[in-house]
Amino acid sequence: MQYGQRKRESLFGSVDRVALLLYLLLVAVGVVAVFSASWVEGSENFFAFSHNYIKQIVWLGISLVMGVVIMLLDRSLWHKIAYYLYAAAILALVATLLFGRTVNGAKAWFEFGPIRLQTMEFAKIAIALATARLMSEFSFSISSFRSLVNVALLLLVPLAITYLQNDTGSGLVLCSFVFMLYREGLNKWLCIPIIFIAALFLLSFLYSPTVLLVALILVFTLSECFANRNWRNSIIYLALLFGGSTLLFLLLSAVPTISVDYYTVLLSTTLLSMVGVCVYAYRSRLRNIYIMVLLFVVSVMITPTSNAMFNVMKPHQQNRIKTFLGITDDASLNYNVRQSKIAIGSGGFFGKGYLQGSHIRYGLVPEKHTDFIFCTIGEEFGFVGAITVLTLIMLFIFRLMRMGDRQRETFGRVYCYIVASILLFHTLINIGMTMGVVPVMGIPLPLISYGGSSLLAFSIMIFIAFAFDAQTIRE
Amino acid sequence: MREGGLSPRALVARIIVIVIFAILGLRVGYIQLIDDRYDKLSDRNYLRNVVLYPPRGEIYDRNGELLAQNRLCYDVSIVRKDMPKSGFDTLRVSHLVGMSKETLAKKISQSPYRRESRLTRYPITVEQKLLLDEMNIGGFYTSQRTVRQYPRKIGGNLLGSINEVTKAKIEKDDSYSVGDYIGMEGLELAYEEVLRGEKGVVLQDIYAPQAERNTILKEPVAGKSIVCTIDAELQQLAEELMQDKVGAVVAIEPSTGEILTMVSAPTFNPDELVIGKERGNNYAKEINNPRMPLWNRAVKSRYPPGSTFKLVTGLIGMQEGVLRPHYQYSCNMGYHLGGEHIGCHEHRSPLALSYAIATSCNAYFCYVFRNILENKRKYEIAKDGFEAWRDYVLSFGFGRKLDSDFLGEGAGYVPTREFYDKRYRKSWNALTLLSLSIGQGELGCTPLQMANLAAIVANRGYYYIPHIVREIEGQDSLDTRFYQKQYTKVDAKHFDHIVEGMWRGVNKDGTCQGAYLKGYNVCGKTGTAQNSKGEDHSTFISFAPRNNPKIAIAVYVEHGGFGAEMAVPIASLIEEKYLTDTICRPHLVEYVKKRKIAYPMYRKK
Repeated sequence: MQYGQRKRESLFGSVDRVALLLYLLLVAVGVVAVFSASWVEGSENFFAFSHNYIKQIVWLGISLVMGVVIMLLDRSLWHKIAYYLYAAAILALVATLLFGRTVNGAKAWFEFGPIRLQTMEFAKIAIALATARLMSEFSFSISSFRSLVNVALLLLVPLAITYLQNDTGSGLVLCSFVFMLYREGLNKWLCIPIIFIAALFLLSFLYSPTVLLVALILVFTLSECFANRNWRNSIIYLALLFGGSTLLFLLLSAVPTISVDYYTVLLSTTLLSMVGVCVYAYRSRLRNIYIMVLLFVVSVMITPTSNAMFNVMKPHQQNRIKTFLGITDDASLNYNVRQSKIAIGSGGFFGKGYLQGSHIRYGLVPEKHTDFIFCTIGEEFGFVGAITVLTLIMLFIFRLMRMGDRQRETFGRVYCYIVASILLFHTLINIGMTMGVVPVMGIPLPLISYGGSSLLAFSIMIFIAFAFDAQTIRE
Repeated sequence: MREGGLSPRALVARIIVIVIFAILGLRVGYIQLIDDRYDKLSDRNYLRNVVLYPPRGEIYDRNGELLAQNRLCYDVSIVRKDMPKSGFDTLRVSHLVGMSKETLAKKISQSPYRRESRLTRYPITVEQKLLLDEMNIGGFYTSQRTVRQYPRKIGGNLLGSINEVTKAKIEKDDSYSVGDYIGMEGLELAYEEVLRGEKGVVLQDIYAPQAERNTILKEPVAGKSIVCTIDAELQQLAEELMQDKVGAVVAIEPSTGEILTMVSAPTFNPDELVIGKERGNNYAKEINNPRMPLWNRAVKSRYPPGSTFKLVTGLIGMQEGVLRPHYQYSCNMGYHLGGEHIGCHEHRSPLALSYAIATSCNAYFCYVFRNILENKRKYEIAKDGFEAWRDYVLSFGFGRKLDSDFLGEGAGYVPTREFYDKRYRKSWNALTLLSLSIGQGELGCTPLQMANLAAIVANRGYYYIPHIVREIEGQDSLDTRFYQKQYTKVDAKHFDHIVEGMWRGVNKDGTCQGAYLKGYNVCGKTGTAQNSKGEDHSTFISFAPRNNPKIAIAVYVEHGGFGAEMAVPIASLIEEKYLTDTICRPHLVEYVKKRKIAYPMYRKK
């Protein structure tokens, strides 16, 4: 079949129909949920433009038109203009920072008459394209340190701007690129530490340094056991370490002039013991122990410094993390998450029925049509509805990953995976925060939350991936 | 490319996605299906328990006329959380809830944030509530309840009043909680348990108070209404007649013991003490009034019965066998013996029992009294005689509570042997106590007891315990004690001679001819009780008709002069009203109403 003929035959003929269907289902769920969240009983003029759901439908129309336009464009165009778009995006972000409008404390919005756009929503597309372009360059190698620094720089610039905009939540989306980088073959010894240290950072607020240190020692010794299978030596090491440090602690406590706590003693002995461990590694030629020792020392250093790092954060970010970790007693901070959890939790198996959710109706859940739209679904459609929505999103992400995997070029593959990563991150953070699993960040649920710029930006991003996919098959 | 050809990294990436969605899915499942905490929290978020106050039982008079009814009103409560952030018209709201703007602002700022708290101490009227609803301000809630309203505005002390329950009472009785109303004094207190009903609870949707989803956890049970024995018209007349006087009127239906009228004067308008902004002021006004309108004289005051007590003395004398109706004693302006002297007015002498009663001869009953106590055949010493006498007196319902259904009943006072032993260092005899014979001295009776005496004589020897309630909704009968005849220790046969004397007093040549009603054979006995504070107390007990009596009455007017002067016309008018249902002597009504008695002794306070 000839190229030109097929194109003329059907515009969407070669598009991934399942993915398109999932997309349409998700935006439909979005409209239904937004309607419920913003509908007021007895309100007049059902079709007035002032209603959120009408606005959302209009934006959906615009998005679909944009989708068709994108499908008509040639995929090579995106490769060509990726860097220009990136430059434009950075300019727009800076401009927003200077002249933008402040909404919910974040100076991240541009206003054109009645339309309000969050710059980062659109900048993400440019950043994704630029990253894909960069990683598809011939000189790029995933194992090269320089290449990785380039990627990091590409991401850090917009991240820094969002931090200045007081909208780090949106910026943190870029962290999800790690997921794509992993797929691209990023060394797992780089992936694991990044995640490990991030987790440690959060845990350091919850537990005392001593507990964390003991946990770290156990975790590392255990992973050493699994890696090298010498249980005996590990047990001997642990026994010596804890026995020795306890004995030392008792001896030191007996001396009246020295006041010392167990943490210090254990930390010193552990760090000292590292020398012994290294000697052991050298003798038995177990090279992976070096990496573990390095990671362990870094982790131990991180633990006490996390407080210092924490202080760098803005107060509302600190509060969100504190709230998430349950170490604040400020009721108003917990309030959103608490109400949201109650709304979802009271949904039960089948939900309270469409338009029957009391929490949604009575405005107990804040931001119920935007960031907390999942509450509407959870309360009114219950477990069934929530799981259905989760499944739809998951299938859609899978579909995007599949699109990436069957791309013949790095550019398309990286792009599709970036889209998948962004969706994954948004879903995890957004739904996670409504249930108190992750800290509250003001980011929307893709395709479902109310918000024209978000819907349009996600649609454009997704349709570019669709276009890549459709045109790959066609060629 | 086929799925089977996935790189290991692509596979792991999919596993990561699955794990993340599994975490979210499990979390959703956990909070929606397993952890039921959220359901309850959810309910608490938008449901509130609203107390449904039952309407209090209404009080009817014996003819079915309403004495106390209910008026709808609303309590206002607030939840600060639900109030509009942008503020509201506080001035208008403060007018509607009847407090100053500053007080309102202070109340709101001090109220708990999420919890509901009461805004006003007093309920607001239906009109105010509707205006408040019209403003449609978030965070303001009203709950319906009722307060009293009195169509006739009579029977202040009789009906009592209602007020918010005190903390002390809540601690003692857990059927009350803060904000409940409870009967104070009078009928409201005596029949509190019947009248109050049971509170209900409704689980109300805060945001849609009228919605169908409101579930009533417990239906309120309306208080039972009661029909009391009072005759409203008679009560009103009696209150009017007693205006500007201090004293009491009690009328009893002898054949049942039902209290037809019970007036304590001065009385007050029961509407004044209805829960509301003015209650405090009005209460203070009444409590500071030196004439003590809140003191229910009809059942509490201890008055010397005066000459009305001569009936008892005579009856005891006959029962003891020391007096025959035909015995004559002479009276020379009083009784004189040794140092003792009890004066009397001018009348024919010597005289027998019936005339002695009719003309209220003091000397006659001094003889009788001495004969009772100094009855050597029965009692070794007069002190034993006194104790026998006292037992008789108690059997007439004096010196003890009558055990009526009216709370706060006083016992009156009949002195004991020990009392005199102490007072006279054991050296006393019949002569010492001579004034008891004519109802003076240490004797103290409540007007209720005096009316009961009239009923006893009317019944020729027994009484039914006086009571105020005739019927309770849903109950077939009252307590059995109200159906039992209470006999005195005097045989029925002796009463006829006394009745003869009382009839004669009204209808022939006695002290109380002012009580004459044509065709009704009114019987009566005046009393003029001397007292240390001023003018004599004017008292009169009476019943009518002579045979098959319908009404027995006692009137007591403090410092009203002779019995015939104040008490007789009042009692007579009440009897006339009750027996004939009309008043043929309007001039007398006007005369009595206009009579103001000066009470200098009450102004000293």
